[in-house]
Amino acid sequence: MVGFLQFVIDVLSLGGAYALMALGLVIVYGILRLVNFAYGELIMVAGYSLYLLNGSALPWLVMAAVAVLMSMFMGIATDYVAFRPVRAKSVTAVLITSFAFSTLLQNAALLFISPRPRNIPLPDLFTTTIEIAGVVTPVRNLLTIATAVISLALFAWLMRRTVIGIAMRAAATHFTMARMLGVPANLIISSAFAISGLLAGIVALFWLGRIGSVVPGIGLEPLLVAFIATVIGGMRSLQGAVLGGFLLAFIDTGLNYTLPQDLLKFRDAFTFSLVILILLWRPEGLLKGPASGQRT
Amino acid sequence: MTRHLMTLAVLIGLVVLVVLGAEFAEVRLLSRIATNLCIMLVLVLGLQVFMGNSGILSFAHVGFMGIGAYTSAMLTIPVQMKGMALPDLYPVFAGLQMSPYITILIAGLVAALVAAIVSYPLMRLSDAAAVITSFALLVVLHTVMLHWSEVTNGPRTLFGIPRVTNLYLAAGAAALAIAAALAFKESRLGILLRTTRDDEVAAGALGAHVPNLRWIAFILSALFAGIGGALWGHFITSFSPKAFYLKETFVILGMLVIGGPGTVTGAVFGVLIVTIVFEGLRAIEGLVNQAQLFSEQVVGVTEITLALAMIAVLIFRPGGLVATREVGDLILRRMKLREKK
Amino acid sequence: MIKVSNLEAGYGPVRAVRGVSINVGKGELVTVLGANGAGKSSLLLTIAGALKPTGGQVHLDGIDVTGSSPERMVRRGVSMVPETRDVFPDLTVAENLRLGAYIRRSKIDIVRADLEKMYALFPRLQERVDQAAGTLSGGEQQMLVIARAMMADPKVLLLDEPSLGLAPNLVDQIFDMIVELKTTGLSILLVEQNASKALQIADRAYVLRLGEIAAEGSAAEIAEASDLHAMYLGG
Repeated sequence: MVGFLQFVIDVLSLGGAYALMALGLVIVYGILRLVNFAYGELIMVAGYSLYLLNGSALPWLVMAAVAVLMSMFMGIATDYVAFRPVRAKSVTAVLITSFAFSTLLQNAALLFISPRPRNIPLPDLFTTTIEIAGVVTPVRNLLTIATAVISLALFAWLMRRTVIGIAMRAAATHFTMARMLGVPANLIISSAFAISGLLAGIVALFWLGRIGSVVPGIGLEPLLVAFIATVIGGMRSLQGAVLGGFLLAFIDTGLNYTLPQDLLKFRDAFTFSLVILILLWRPEGLLKGPASGQRT
Repeated sequence: MTRHLMTLAVLIGLVVLVVLGAEFAEVRLLSRIATNLCIMLVLVLGLQVFMGNSGILSFAHVGFMGIGAYTSAMLTIPVQMKGMALPDLYPVFAGLQMSPYITILIAGLVAALVAAIVSYPLMRLSDAAAVITSFALLVVLHTVMLHWSEVTNGPRTLFGIPRVTNLYLAAGAAALAIAAALAFKESRLGILLRTTRDDEVAAGALGAHVPNLRWIAFILSALFAGIGGALWGHFITSFSPKAFYLKETFVILGMLVIGGPGTVTGAVFGVLIVTIVFEGLRAIEGLVNQAQLFSEQVVGVTEITLALAMIAVLIFRPGGLVATREVGDLILRRMKLREKK
Repeated sequence: MIKVSNLEAGYGPVRAVRGVSINVGKGELVTVLGANGAGKSSLLLTIAGALKPTGGQVHLDGIDVTGSSPERMVRRGVSMVPETRDVFPDLTVAENLRLGAYIRRSKIDIVRADLEKMYALFPRLQERVDQAAGTLSGGEQQMLVIARAMMADPKVLLLDEPSLGLAPNLVDQIFDMIVELKTTGLSILLVEQNASKALQIADRAYVLRLGEIAAEGSAAEIAEASDLHAMYLGG
């Protein structure tokens, strides 16, 4: 029973973070049909913002808000630098520019800050543990679950109830038609990148909260996680991304609990082989996204 | 036909120039740079064979480079050193020590074989799905290299690889790579594949089986990568799996994109230009660090420059510096124009 | 209202619209007839801003709007209903209509009143308010795209083949609604293959052939012209 509860908390807290990550990738992919390879660096940007604010007199929540804002800002900047100038040219071109932008950000951090890990400020709450029904778990895990639930609910509200959300869902199927109703293309795309940055920023707080520090290469793992989760759940379906996030957390945690140590180190190889198999079987992912697929 | 021979002559001439320049300067560093440049030529041309002709971006290329490097290393590390370099090696290979000249070829074949097996089903995919699977493939290959300690010594550095790659061997391989890439590009297969790049439906209507065409190009590309990786291994003599991941992918991709993936000339020019700029910047970085102008080491300037250059090229010259015509073609055209005048 | 002069547009080397000049007066219903591939849809898309013109001008109320983006054209009062009948299939009927009023999203009360008007005009839509648009029948989808375009409160409505692929009784219904929309003072540019139907309700007509205007006149004149069928067959 205790073991089971432990497992559930682990899956939910990991899955919450994964789901938000995946959602941030899919919101851009759904509208533009383009993968943002610089997505992981949004986490890095949030991390370094926290590091730079370290030691300031600001309350932690304000620092966290600034970090999330920086990540949003960098999301929009990604659009302007890597996507907008080459969007009309070719899919391959955008993939390469976003990959180049990712390397650019990483090396800028390397050059201007340091190749070595930098500590980030964390509230005490992040390092305390709590006992529920015999299970000792970090408060951070419960915070992650709560934040994920709130973020997902907010996101759902935004996409279902606000005009801009509805417009983004519409643009994911018929981009030109949405424009013919007066929805500005650039507004939609910038909003998608801003939301993508917002989600990455929120995840960053918990992702980095686990490690306590930030390095230039921090973005790779979250990017890979988002890739796998979206491919499992459906490249273009928002619900699919969330489902994929939790499923991946379930698989990861399950493997952690069951696999022997010398096979566990190959876990990434297993999950990525799974990604390849799923894409072969269903290039669109498990959950089908919106009906049509014209690009802008 | 003459224009193809002209292209071949000019490009191989460039390689010869690099070799002569490095030899006459009699600076050891220059010889190292030139050797490295020739190895990069083999690797970048390998990527050009697939990407240039199929139009599909592949991230997996350096994964095959790694396979080549490890294969050749495992077969050539002297028997007496194997116990130390590869303590967990399978007993079958423990007593084996082959000539590196043979194992470099074996390395290429092993990489090509692995590519043939894993990539066959992937060639149906296009666009984002194709790129993500190739990215996933790179991660899988990297994870395997990182943890298959029997063969790779795990994440630790593998050492004791005999040094065989010198400037002449690398230059010879580069010349062969240029010839092979050109030959493939102008072969019936290459031309058909490029038609699929521009219009998949039309090429299908011509009777081209698109996935098969891509598959053949991918295998050939992995063959180049395997040989290039083995040459690199016998040049650098010790490496870890880190050498075959995103950083290396970025450099190889950058060279190809800047030069122009569509042409062999572009690939060669890309390697030359990026290498020259890189070495220049690296020298400056070194000087700055030596003078200790800043409290911390200056790192990353080369990568930042390359990233900016890639983005700029894709915005202003999407096809790269040499987008569509090979150098032989360009020269012959100019000669004809002059005759007319 | 809308005045198109010497408009040129195309796709790459293909010139779909070649020097077309038409005009639509206020409250007028003008139809553009022509065979498949005559350039009718391209003409509408170019006016709506979805296709960039390579020559000529589009004037709206005397203002040059040539080459404006689609979102600008909607703001200026030109709404387009494309032939592809692009409902947003995953959005509900209500969400589709709400998006139609995107440019007026701050005027909540007016929009709500207009929504009631649309439901009165298309009762079928009200019955299916919370249904995903992708599950509607072809006729219902056509009603939805027209109603959605009307939610932007346009001065000019560009209608591309509203009768395409619909059963005859539905076609009659759609045409009745177009007539009703006209009574509100809306200017309508209607592209149709169903020439006889279109001429019954139109004030004036143009015949487009191979991207050029082959004939123009009042609806009655065009209907009487004996070579109408010949034009359609490209003869």
